[in-house]
Amino acid sequence: MTLVASFDWHFIWEHIPDFWTGLKATLKVAAIGIGGSLAIGIVLGAARAHRIPVLSWVAAIYVEVIRNTPILVQIFFIAGGLTQIPGHPIRLEPFTIAWLSVMIWGGAYNTENFRAGFEAVPWRYREAGLALGFSRVATFLNVTLPIGARIALPSSINTYVSVLKNTSLLTAIGFAELTDTAYSLESQSFKPSEVYFALGATYLLVVWTLSALVRLLERRLTIPEAR
Amino acid sequence: MPDWAGPVAHYMLHEGLTTTLRIAAYAVVGSTVVGVLLGTLLTIRFWPLQALIRLYVEIWRGLPILVTIFLVYFALPTTPVIHHRFGAITGAAIGLILWGSAQVAEATRGAVQSIPSEQHEAASALGFGWIGRHRSVILPQALRRLLPPLVSLLANIIQNTTIASLIGVTELLATGQRSIERLQLTPPGNSHAFAIYAALLAAFFCISFPLTRLAIFLERRLV
Repeated sequence: MTLVASFDWHFIWEHIPDFWTGLKATLKVAAIGIGGSLAIGIVLGAARAHRIPVLSWVAAIYVEVIRNTPILVQIFFIAGGLTQIPGHPIRLEPFTIAWLSVMIWGGAYNTENFRAGFEAVPWRYREAGLALGFSRVATFLNVTLPIGARIALPSSINTYVSVLKNTSLLTAIGFAELTDTAYSLESQSFKPSEVYFALGATYLLVVWTLSALVRLLERRLTIPEAR
Repeated sequence: MPDWAGPVAHYMLHEGLTTTLRIAAYAVVGSTVVGVLLGTLLTIRFWPLQALIRLYVEIWRGLPILVTIFLVYFALPTTPVIHHRFGAITGAAIGLILWGSAQVAEATRGAVQSIPSEQHEAASALGFGWIGRHRSVILPQALRRLLPPLVSLLANIIQNTTIASLIGVTELLATGQRSIERLQLTPPGNSHAFAIYAALLAAFFCISFPLTRLAIFLERRLV
């Protein structure tokens, strides 16, 4: 019971506002990253599934490069590498680097999720749409997208949760999100067990809530005939 | 090749890549052993055990790996439970094992449950006990299904070893960053950050891409 006795609950209670500030930054970056990766996933996933020339190949290279390199190196490449391009430096705000890097990462995984989802839509559905006089774009928007996006839902949900978790790596470039807030709090207070247990509990609370919410959404959105 | 690149490449490959592969090796072996054990135990219909393993899996899958590594490396040694400081490489490896074993446990449960119940019954009829049945009959067959996710895990773990640089391990990413800092401080003061980060991306791609292809190939062949 010494663990409970020596644990400084008062310290955590006092610093809840700090955690809340960090959490807000994490959620903000994650929300933009998730929204962006949803858009990238639908557009590039459609390009991959319908084998649109050039765009499909560019998307394939993008997916393989992002999925086969560590996101931490991607973050440093955007934050530190692009500013040193010989002759053409690109400087971005820390907030821009934050959402851009998690969005690019999530977009690559989501492209793959949606490609698989769109390809799983039976061919005859599209043929039926085209036979009814829908244009190719209208067939995609009214037939392939509503069905394919639902097939892709479980795997894309995992990607969104990962996007949220990956925002913790923005600590590495000093972006003041949840993990970075805890890290600076620890270096001022020298209370690692209090700070990091509170940090872990906060992440679990957010991740488990998010998972539960999207499972609920998933149940409402599943294709009725599928079960 | 410009003359600054030779020593940098040498340092990154000898010091950095070796450490990266060492942590990855610890993490993959540890994750596999712990994960297969927990995943097999998860198929036993005894709810307190299942709840306990479920909790383990959900916690380490839910936490960002960086937070897990911070917990293991910074917080754990200050608690009375484990009053012992360990090195950064060990801390990173334990953090990766906690995350990896949760992934492997999930995959193992699926693989073990995919083995038809006749196999269990036949093994029991031959007089095998629970341990013998799983060791000699069920797990060797489940391993076929487990191989593709294990290869993917290896690729993911190699990528995630970069997180160890944040607790001061000089793995591949950290050696690249030290090279950037050193080049900046020595005349003419050009850090070559773009080239070095691009090289890091290329290096990880060259390791990871064959592994992810292999995982897809095995998935088609074996399952």
